[in-house]
Amino acid sequence: MELTVVKNATCTFCGCVCDDIELHADHRRIVHTKAACVLGASWFKNHTAERLYPEALIDGREATVDEAVEAAAHYLHDAALPLVYGLSNITCEAQREAISLAELIGGVVDSHTSL
Amino acid sequence: MGGKVSCTLGEVKNRADFIVYWGGNPAECHPRHFTKYTLTQKGKFIPNGRKDRTMVLVDIRETPSAKAADIFLQVRPSKDFEVITTLRALIKGQPVARDMVAETGLTLDQLQDLAERMKRARFGVLFFGMGLSMTRGKHMNSAAILTLAAELNAFTKFVAMPMRGHGNVTGGDVIMRWTTGYPFGVNLARGYPRFNPGEFSTVDLLIRGDCDAALIVGADPGATMPQPAIDHLARIPTIVLDPKLTHTSRLARVHITTAVTGISAPGTVYRMDEIPLPLRPALKSPYPTDEEVLRRIHMAVAARSRPAPPVVWPGPVAV
Ligand code: SF4
Repeated sequence: MELTVVKNATCTFCGCVCDDIELHADHRRIVHTKAACVLGASWFKNHTAERLYPEALIDGREATVDEAVEAAAHYLHDAALPLVYGLSNITCEAQREAISLAELIGGVVDSHTSL
Repeated sequence: MGGKVSCTLGEVKNRADFIVYWGGNPAECHPRHFTKYTLTQKGKFIPNGRKDRTMVLVDIRETPSAKAADIFLQVRPSKDFEVITTLRALIKGQPVARDMVAETGLTLDQLQDLAERMKRARFGVLFFGMGLSMTRGKHMNSAAILTLAAELNAFTKFVAMPMRGHGNVTGGDVIMRWTTGYPFGVNLARGYPRFNPGEFSTVDLLIRGDCDAALIVGADPGATMPQPAIDHLARIPTIVLDPKLTHTSRLARVHITTAVTGISAPGTVYRMDEIPLPLRPALKSPYPTDEEVLRRIHMAVAARSRPAPPVVWPGPVAV
């Protein structure tokens, strides 16, 4: 099986955000890492591109992403003071979207930093 | 953290000859911090690498990081603020009573020695971890250590930097600051940002039961928050975006599975010194990214919001 090699990959497991990692991957999982520490290596190897979970759940039942997006929009739109919380394990681009959504729904936006 | 006296990790690597870790255990929590940035690397002004640097560890117990340190100072739990304040006094040459220092678990001589070494450094850094910022005193401790770093600049070059934990918590602060003017806990209900930790911070909001819906993205409060806060999340409609089914997903009304940041989702992440770095994902996820799902929810909410009625100016009023 042909492996794809990604040079200078970035590890986000800890605040060091090392950007000198080499990753060897097949289409399903990362099989080999270079330069990563033990924490980073196990983080890279523990996530796969497999479909392990349903794409969405509404009240515990499987649903499509479209249905779940509508349900989410319904709840957030109807709320008087919705909360948007987290923002830790997501990209800056996603953080920006989350803040923009919080502004639209007139809510509170908060992160791990407040703990 | 606007206004803090800090620098990049590249500057630490190239210039720092005196490094203090306070309330953190980089050997286990940030394993490559020593070897990539702070201790072992040779730098432009640190030609001999480790030999040219002095490392001090301040903590309440002897962690594996102590092996890497030249000096280990064991403080009594919850006495960090007292130690920092004493150092600030000693640096300015103010008298400090010996018996007052004793309650910190350290001696006046140890602190006097540290104060002298800090003043003699060419370029000093104070890295502080959760052992300082999440224990008694919390943000007062962080403020104290940042002030210590600032005051040391009367004698030499000194900076301070928080040892941020995982993921993109630093990016969260930066993006919030850039978009709203505040780093966390921002209330946008009135259409403009209001900041008030303790009032608009998540744990307080949830425990008081102030919010009536929650969108959780890139976190698992169901596993980490106090029980009354979790109970409220279970009471209100909670929506979770996460690559896994988390504890929070189990009590949520809606869960959407998303691609894993950095593994199968591209984008930008901030390093602890606030340097943004691009991600290079190695895998293709069968799931959409958080960014994409958030944008879709945004569009769906916007479609629900009726446009505001047009404002009609009735014309001048005759007086
Ligand atoms: S490789 Fe290790 S030190 Fe570097 S970011 Fe990943 S977990 Fe942190």
